[in-house]
Amino acid sequence: MLASSVLFFGAASVSAESFKWASNTDPQTMDPHAVNSAPVLSFLNNIYEGLVRRNQSMTIEGSLAESWEPLDGENGWRFHLRRGVTFQDGAEFNAEDVMFSYQRASNEAADVRSWFAPVKDVRIVDDYTIDFVTNAPNPLFPDSIANFMILDKGWAEANGADLPARDAENHATMNVNGTGPFTLSSRDPGVKTVLVPNDGWWDTVAHNVTEATFTPIGNAATGLAALLSGEIDFIQPIPLQDVAQVESRDGFNVLEGEETRVIMFGFGHEHDELLYSSDVSGKNPFQDVRVRLAAAHALDIASIDRVLFRGKIEAASQLVPADISGYSEANSDRPAYDPDRAKALLAEAGYPNGFSFGLKCPNDRYINDEALCRAAASMFAAVGMNAELSTGPVRDYWPQLRADEFDMYLLGWSPGTFDMEHPIRFLMSTPNKEKKLGSWNFGGYSNARVDDLLPGIQQEIDPAARQAMVDEVVSITQEEVAYIPLYTQPLIWAAKDNIDLTQRADNFFMLRWVTVN
Amino acid sequence: MAYFILKRLVQSIFVMMAVAFLAFSLFRFVGDPITQMTGVETSVADQERLRQELGLNDPFVLQFARFTRDMLQGDFGYSYRTRQPVGEMIATRIPATLELGIVALLISLLVGIPTGVFTALRPQGFATQTILLTTLVGVSIPTFVIGILLIFLFGVQLGWLPTFGRGGTIHLGAWESSLFTINGLRALLLPAITLGVYQLTLTMRLVRAEMMEVLRSDYIRFGMARGVPMHRLYFKHALANTMVPVITIIGLQFGGVIAFSIVTESVFQWPGMGLLFLESIRFVDIPVMGVYLVVIAFFFVLVNLIVDLLYVAIDPRLRVNGTS
Repeated sequence: MLASSVLFFGAASVSAESFKWASNTDPQTMDPHAVNSAPVLSFLNNIYEGLVRRNQSMTIEGSLAESWEPLDGENGWRFHLRRGVTFQDGAEFNAEDVMFSYQRASNEAADVRSWFAPVKDVRIVDDYTIDFVTNAPNPLFPDSIANFMILDKGWAEANGADLPARDAENHATMNVNGTGPFTLSSRDPGVKTVLVPNDGWWDTVAHNVTEATFTPIGNAATGLAALLSGEIDFIQPIPLQDVAQVESRDGFNVLEGEETRVIMFGFGHEHDELLYSSDVSGKNPFQDVRVRLAAAHALDIASIDRVLFRGKIEAASQLVPADISGYSEANSDRPAYDPDRAKALLAEAGYPNGFSFGLKCPNDRYINDEALCRAAASMFAAVGMNAELSTGPVRDYWPQLRADEFDMYLLGWSPGTFDMEHPIRFLMSTPNKEKKLGSWNFGGYSNARVDDLLPGIQQEIDPAARQAMVDEVVSITQEEVAYIPLYTQPLIWAAKDNIDLTQRADNFFMLRWVTVN
Repeated sequence: MAYFILKRLVQSIFVMMAVAFLAFSLFRFVGDPITQMTGVETSVADQERLRQELGLNDPFVLQFARFTRDMLQGDFGYSYRTRQPVGEMIATRIPATLELGIVALLISLLVGIPTGVFTALRPQGFATQTILLTTLVGVSIPTFVIGILLIFLFGVQLGWLPTFGRGGTIHLGAWESSLFTINGLRALLLPAITLGVYQLTLTMRLVRAEMMEVLRSDYIRFGMARGVPMHRLYFKHALANTMVPVITIIGLQFGGVIAFSIVTESVFQWPGMGLLFLESIRFVDIPVMGVYLVVIAFFFVLVNLIVDLLYVAIDPRLRVNGTS
């Protein structure tokens, strides 16, 4: 309390190592297995650690595991654990904790259990060696568990936190005991969370923070004011329209990057008729690939970039940005802006005068999502496709998409594993509840060849052979215009200019890379 | 008297139940809590299982009945978002909202009543016209714009006052108060002004109108004729008579101040009930929304009760009627 009181008297007198930051969402829980959401996982990566972790350029490196290798004679991976690591309460870390955390995180009460769907069995070899046996060869498995955080078995069991809190809170909801660089000093949910360094951390300390205070600030203007008044040192994100205002002031930096999220339009492939059309009934023009291609040619990404995004977006040709593994170099072209070709394609498909349809968009999920859809609707209209736009908050949006209430819709996708396989599995595979495939493929896009290729992409060890399969999938889905990829969403953070930090493409903020100068 | 209070409190239970019923009939239009509670990778089957476990597939009447039964047993349930007990979550947020509301009310009364009297006594003066015009601008601008303007002026440009949060607070038992530290009061000032500005204008204009009315009445003229000192006439006789309608309106408005402090709390990241409610809407946190609305309904009933009691205290005629 006192420290924060002192700050209010003079922003300039901040002590060099205390660091205050804000974001728009409070992590809902301190339990690393209860919720699979970016605000929680990003925050808890400062406190807990996984077997592997991502470095500043998103590459996987050893964390609680020093090394790992494929198992001999069966599918899966062997992890060699780091010795001499202790939890923040002093307990020693070993394979028992990994086993316990696996059981906890793959339990029905855990929201992160989907990470372990490919796992058949986990075996402790010795105190510092553990095997994860998978159903099929799984070269991506180590990459897919970078956010699988390890809890101390003894601590969790002693405090009745054996399972993640699903219905009611338990000890792990508000308390932590990780191996990571920081530990929890105090927590007031939705108001303030204070972290202090973990003196016993095993790795070399690269930050100089002695106390880090996090405040959620939901209102963007308030967050900006808090930064400009000097009450906080760093905020993620800031709205695009405030970039100029921050840049124009002395003492502040705007950090810009590309997120891994690609924004796209999707179609109701499996709908036999349009739901929101005033002039077409009994059929769905979007089932004709020429109409989908016409829609792609109607969109002028350069203008959208200039007018709505101040030149900060990167046009996308496929469902992942270029720096994601599996990105198909061979298919890096996207349909050019060509309204005449769009009109010709529509005429060819039997709609010389165009048609009307319903376009669904969220208005609080992606940067400028509603404005984007308005711009797109007018571009569609210019070639004769009259989009009846309806927008709504995201809490209402997903249920509508799940209920198939759209002709065309907007979606953003960030590959959780940072590999092309992720969008192929979730967005391009024929929806199949049992196999847990295509769960976000709302339009029901289906191509037998893509479905056939997916297991190969998941299991192939040889990078060239794997990339050939990915290239084929991307090529098929581009040819069939399964989606219209639009652009990669920008990532915009702002900080005082005495702060050095790392902006990672997954929008995670790591305190261990912060230096207060 | 005790019977009167008891009767009103019993009535409040029905009001709260009616509010809860309406709320529950609307919740299914707010959105789907499951998609907010689970990550993108969660399988559809797991989502369905969770939906079933939370009873979200049940008809709303059943959900409402369950909610009411638990409430009557003192069980407020657990938040979908944080998994914390809802009663505790709301209870820890009540002091922030109440202090903000009460200070806003005090500001509006302490500034509004004197300026109201002043502008009534000098209806044509230049100062009066200026005050009336400024306050008109004040009520015409939406609350959040006033808040942002104040923040950028006093927080960012001048750097005098904090832009968000409660500043320094101290614990008085379970009550976390910002009234007893300098920093707490500094943090409280801007949000309280933002929240109180509408009330202030209303109070001022009400006092002015009533006062002008009363000043024209016969007993004031008789008083003047008898040579009663003017300040005694204005501030004792006239003001007392203007206060009856003013208290009613201001009192009733206070319920609204508490209920609609949501906007102010959001602009100033003020950790009160309103901010919690806003976060809960965004997340479709049905248990928190339900309990919040019931608590707000209770506040309304309570404020109305207090207004009725104040009436009796101020107006002696009601006292005679009440006891006869």
